[in-house]
Amino acid sequence: MEREVLQVGLEAAIKIALFLFVMLTTVAYMTWVERRVSAWIQDRRGPNRVGPFGLLQPLADGVKFLFKETIVPPFVYKPVYVLAPALIFVPALVTFSVVPFGPTLHAFGRDIRLQIADVDNGILIVLAFASMGVYGVALAGWSSNNKYSLMGGLRSSAQLISYELAMGVAVIGVLMATGSLRLGDVVAHQEAYGWNVLWQLPGFLIFLVAAFAETNRLPFDLPEADSELVAGYHTEYSGMWFSMFYMAEYANMITASALIVTLYFGGYNVPGLRLLGLPEPVAVATQVIAFGLKVAFFLFLYVWVRWTIPRFRYDQLMNLGWKVLLPIGLGHVLWVSFLVLRGWA
Amino acid sequence: MHLLTGFILALLVSALLRATIPERPLLAAILPAVAAAGLLAFFASELLSMEFWAGGVGFVAILSALLVVMHPNPMVSVLFLILHLFCIALFYLMLQAQALAALQVIVYAGAIMVLFVFVIMLLNLRAEEGLRLGGGVQRIGALSVGALFAGLMFWAIRNRRDHPFFAPDALVEGFGTARQLGWLLYGKYLFAFEAASILLLAAMVGAVVLAKRRLQ
Amino acid sequence: MIRVEFFLVMGALLFTIGCVGVLIRRNIIVMLMSIEVMLNAVNLTFVAFAREGQSMTGQIVVFFVMTVAAAEAAVGLAIVIALFRRRRTTDADDASLMRW
Repeated sequence: MEREVLQVGLEAAIKIALFLFVMLTTVAYMTWVERRVSAWIQDRRGPNRVGPFGLLQPLADGVKFLFKETIVPPFVYKPVYVLAPALIFVPALVTFSVVPFGPTLHAFGRDIRLQIADVDNGILIVLAFASMGVYGVALAGWSSNNKYSLMGGLRSSAQLISYELAMGVAVIGVLMATGSLRLGDVVAHQEAYGWNVLWQLPGFLIFLVAAFAETNRLPFDLPEADSELVAGYHTEYSGMWFSMFYMAEYANMITASALIVTLYFGGYNVPGLRLLGLPEPVAVATQVIAFGLKVAFFLFLYVWVRWTIPRFRYDQLMNLGWKVLLPIGLGHVLWVSFLVLRGWA
Repeated sequence: MHLLTGFILALLVSALLRATIPERPLLAAILPAVAAAGLLAFFASELLSMEFWAGGVGFVAILSALLVVMHPNPMVSVLFLILHLFCIALFYLMLQAQALAALQVIVYAGAIMVLFVFVIMLLNLRAEEGLRLGGGVQRIGALSVGALFAGLMFWAIRNRRDHPFFAPDALVEGFGTARQLGWLLYGKYLFAFEAASILLLAAMVGAVVLAKRRLQ
Repeated sequence: MIRVEFFLVMGALLFTIGCVGVLIRRNIIVMLMSIEVMLNAVNLTFVAFAREGQSMTGQIVVFFVMTVAAAEAAVGLAIVIALFRRRRTTDADDASLMRW
């Protein structure tokens, strides 16, 4: 029994280490992607000096942040001030841990599921940690002991919990179609019936908009609006702390993209791959790469939207969340129940 | 025995955190990691037993509940309550109530506590200056009720030894899953479910009306 | 497996802590939080008994207790906000107009 526990533990540890490495590298390179894509959209160049195509820019930025003076104002509430950035980062990482990024790999004499935690109620865990993401922002705003930060934190919390609802209602559609809470089953169902985006387009759009709102990205980034609330909830953070917030935002983006891909775009599924009859390691690798490409597309979409659409005003934002997305979501649930009853999805 | 080990270890970790967090956050991050590594090396067999974890989580639950009640700053009380709710969710996991554990985090720790955080931020509450505990009669009353309650609990749990209701460990397949909850909610307890939704509607309307600035 | 008595004792202990909190503290918000602690202790007891008696009814009750707790927290906090607007205080002892 102990040996098996050791094996399982080792497997989990390797997956976690791999995941953290990939995640943190992606977070760092998202800054590069953001700057290059925004430059492309704005008809200019973007970083191209540090290394080929500016690829070493994130390293330079990291070094810069490390050397920046970290000024901790004396009037902040220290314990919570220190805790807040972690509280934004951790839910994103935990949510990603239930997302399957590949099919089952048969290697080393065991079935390795390419998912860090294959729990029976994966969707509930996703919703649970999405709702935990509110605290980091609210507490950062509160602990800074600063009117602007407080307002930013308050507005952001209200925005986050409003769009959580819309997100949950959209997920109900997926849940009804799949009939199970496990994310592995969601992917398998999409393999059998076709990607959820085809059957559940309104739900997908709701989830997309809600994901943008949940990650505090434009057009929903009023809480950190650079021109409105000084810098919103991270006004009083400098140097390493500020970069933590920045990285946490990208981590949230990556998790949200992974969720969109898993719930609506078939996860790691590549349509027609089974027909090719490839040997198993190649098939598994192809599917993992396909997952990565899909997530990359949605990250690109995030950046694209940010530099295209203007910011929502706060009352427009709340209006959209409660009066538009929620009714559409409820109608969508009706539509999906019709589909499920007919057996089409 | 494992329970006690869990308790003691949680106590040590909490003491370490308390000692290091305010002044040296980096130390507070490294020390528990070192402690965990040490645990893994020396107490591997303990880590496998559920009772060890139950003891550890139990200690954290009690400690955080105490801090909720005793800390002068309301925001810090809220944070400890969130920790407490997480511990309760872990207990639910140990008791084969997986759906409830996730629901606990979604509803309690993720929504109700956000409400509390909101209100504290809106009203901009500060730490209270000094915890003025109640006077003579209140204290005597509290102590006697506490003693009575403790006696009652002791007797009730003692009584179980003669009439154990302990069923064997084998549970029906799918106990505690969301599917089972759903079957019951939409089947046997449908009326209660609908009544609860009306209750929530009433609470929503009431909260909006009460918190409005001025009734037009 | 863990004996059920552990969870019962834990529930009783937490309930007591919550009860003491309601009685001792004067800040209404902390009182509401202590009530939440009590409710969670009761939930824990219900789930423990559900596990032992192998009946899902205990978990259903917990579901409804959570619902009611949410409703009660919402209305309670709305009352606190309304009170604060009138009297600029969250001290329960100061809301004593109707006391004898």
